[in-house]
This record gives sequence, structure tokens and C-alpha cells, in this order.
Amino acid sequence: MNTDTLIKNLSAEVKPVRRHAVGRRIALGILAGGVVTAILIAIGLGIRPDLDVAMHGYSFWMKWTYTLSLAVCALFTVARLARPDAPRLRRLRWLWLLLVPVCLLAAIGAMEMARVPSGEWLAMWLGQSWKKCPWLVLMLSAPIFIGLLWSFRRLAPTRLRAAGAAAGLAAGSCAAMLYCLHCPEVSAIFVLTWYTLGIALAAGAGALVGPRLLRW
Amino acid sequence: MRASEDHLRAMMIGGLDGDAVSHAALLRALVPLLRAFYRRRMPGGEDDIEDLVQETLIAVHTRRATYDRDRVFTAWLFAVARYKMIDHFRARRRTCPIEGLEDILLAEGFEDASNARMDMDRLLADLPAKQAQAIRATRIDGLSITETADRAGIGESDVKVSIHRGLKALAARITGERR
Repeated sequence: MNTDTLIKNLSAEVKPVRRHAVGRRIALGILAGGVVTAILIAIGLGIRPDLDVAMHGYSFWMKWTYTLSLAVCALFTVARLARPDAPRLRRLRWLWLLLVPVCLLAAIGAMEMARVPSGEWLAMWLGQSWKKCPWLVLMLSAPIFIGLLWSFRRLAPTRLRAAGAAAGLAAGSCAAMLYCLHCPEVSAIFVLTWYTLGIALAAGAGALVGPRLLRW
Repeated sequence: MRASEDHLRAMMIGGLDGDAVSHAALLRALVPLLRAFYRRRMPGGEDDIEDLVQETLIAVHTRRATYDRDRVFTAWLFAVARYKMIDHFRARRRTCPIEGLEDILLAEGFEDASNARMDMDRLLADLPAKQAQAIRATRIDGLSITETADRAGIGESDVKVSIHRGLKALAARITGERR
């Protein structure tokens, strides 16, 4: 096609773009995916029956805070990488903030372990669901990841692998947040190991498919 | 005339606010900028360059939400253009020229660079003058087809044919030398 004709066609319909359109688009993708994941949990796994009791206990909020802080960090990174002129990854120094919740949770885990006899440590670490937990987090992150892929259709990432990993990390931590509604585990080292593993798997999967799916 | 950063940015923001006239003016102003950008970086033919320019215009249009009004517009634009160029090479599984190759050559071996130039002169000397001139003007000096045609006082299609025949003859010679 002739370049002039192309320009004419492109400028035939110019919709106004709001400020913070990138943030809105990402939020919408996450929300849509999150709703699907929440429905999957409610139907497929079932919300834990003692949720109202658990919400008064500290371990529920510990899990929630941990996954939420990872999700916030990941989403900021996604928003940065969604622009073509994103700074280089090593300049994203605040990514180190991701280590803060991990270290805090490790500290809580150590305190918990100090309070129980060492014979119970293994049971505490493995809980009842260590075999399923990482895989469930990974699977539940898929709808949210798909939501983010939709967001990216109007965004312009130029480092596709990094953007894919960040999207996977965000999807994984949001999925883990929702998985708290089902998961009955209470110990910090369980969360630190198996939740983190599930989230890391999601980030790895994102890095793997990013270059293919985020091309534009 | 090349539009300035401030001017381009004002047009972009106009487009973002929904002003179609401003958006069209922006896209038109980008065409020469992008042509020059790709011509300087790509050894490919004019068709490839025009394809890339169009793809970049489409990307500028569909992904314009990712431009942050408080940042430098040309940095955003050339980031998009660079991405499109890398994607173009990746799709064709060819190697990508490294930006600033001249600087690297200068730093790493003046000898290699001057040898390359001597080789180039030797090869071009064997071609008919018109072909050599057309190749030198478009591929080494970085002029456009139109500029070259004006300078030599011949038609554009004549320039294109000269380049094509000249490059073909050179390619045949080089592969012959290697064997």
C-alpha cells in the first residue's frame, strides 16, 4: 500500500487516549484474569470452609501480604517493560525490593521453627499439600497471564523475554493470592517454599513463551 | 525540513487528545525521519525500507498509548523503530548490523577498515562508471535514489537498475574470488 494512503487510513479514526492508559490496560487484564481464576478456585477447589475464622488468624494475612507485595512489585515491572523506551533491566534497581518480602517471610519462618520441637519441622515444611501447591499456583496463573497478554496487545514491550517473565511473575503472585482462599496451610516455611516455587514456575513459563507471544 | 522534537511532541499529544489532523500531520512528518533512520542502518533495498516505515507508522498508531506525555518523544519513536528493525531481521533470519559499527572498526583495527575501503574501491573500479557511482552514492554516502538521480542527471529507474546490475556483478565477482 502507498504510504500516503496508509496515513490517511490510520488517521481516519483517532480516539483520544487517556493519561495512565497503560496502567488501566494492565489493571483490566489482571482483573479479568483474576475473576476467571477466582471462579476456577470456587468451583474446582472450593473455598476453605473456615475462611471467616481463618481471616481472624495471622497466617492468612501473612500469606496474603507476602503474595500481595510480590504482585505489586511485579506489576510495576510489567508497567515499566510495557513501554518501548523502558530502562535496561539492571537499571531497575528497585527490583531488589522483591527480596524484602522473601526475607521477612524467612525471618517469620525461622521464628516459627524455633518455637516447635525439631521433630515437627518436616511436617511443618511439607504440610498436607506440598505436592499440589506449586502446580496449582502455576495452573491458576494461566488465566491471569492470558489477561495480561490481552493487555499487551496495545502495549509495546521491546524486551520480550523480560516482559514475559515479569508478566508470569505478576500472574503467579496474583494466582497465589487467590489460592489463599482455598489453601489451609499455616506455616511460613511452607509458603516460603511452595508458594514461591509456584510463582517462580509461572515467571519461568512467562520468560519461555514471552518472545513468541508478545511479538508485535 | 526536519521537524523538531518539540514540534513532533506537540503533534503527538494532539493526536493522543483525539485530534485527527494533528495525528495525520505527525505521521506524515515521521515518514522522512524513519526513512533516514532505516536507510542509515540497513543494507536492504528500498522496498524493505518502505515496508519497515509503514510497519512503524502502524505501530506508532496502534501503540501510541505507551507514549508517556512527560517523556522525550523521539526516544520513544526510535525505540519503536529499532524494535521493528530487529523484528524484521529476526523474521528473515538474517544478521543484524551492529549500531555504531564504524566506531568499533576504528577502535579495533584501523587496518581492517582501510583494507575494506581499498577492497571496495578496487571492486567498484571494475564496474562501469555509472553503476559504481550509483552504488557509491546510495550505499556508501547514504543518499536516496531521488538524490542520486538528481545528482547524476539521470532517471530514478535508471539509478535503480544500475544499482541492481552493479550489485549483481559484484556478488558474482566476490563468490568467484572466494572459490
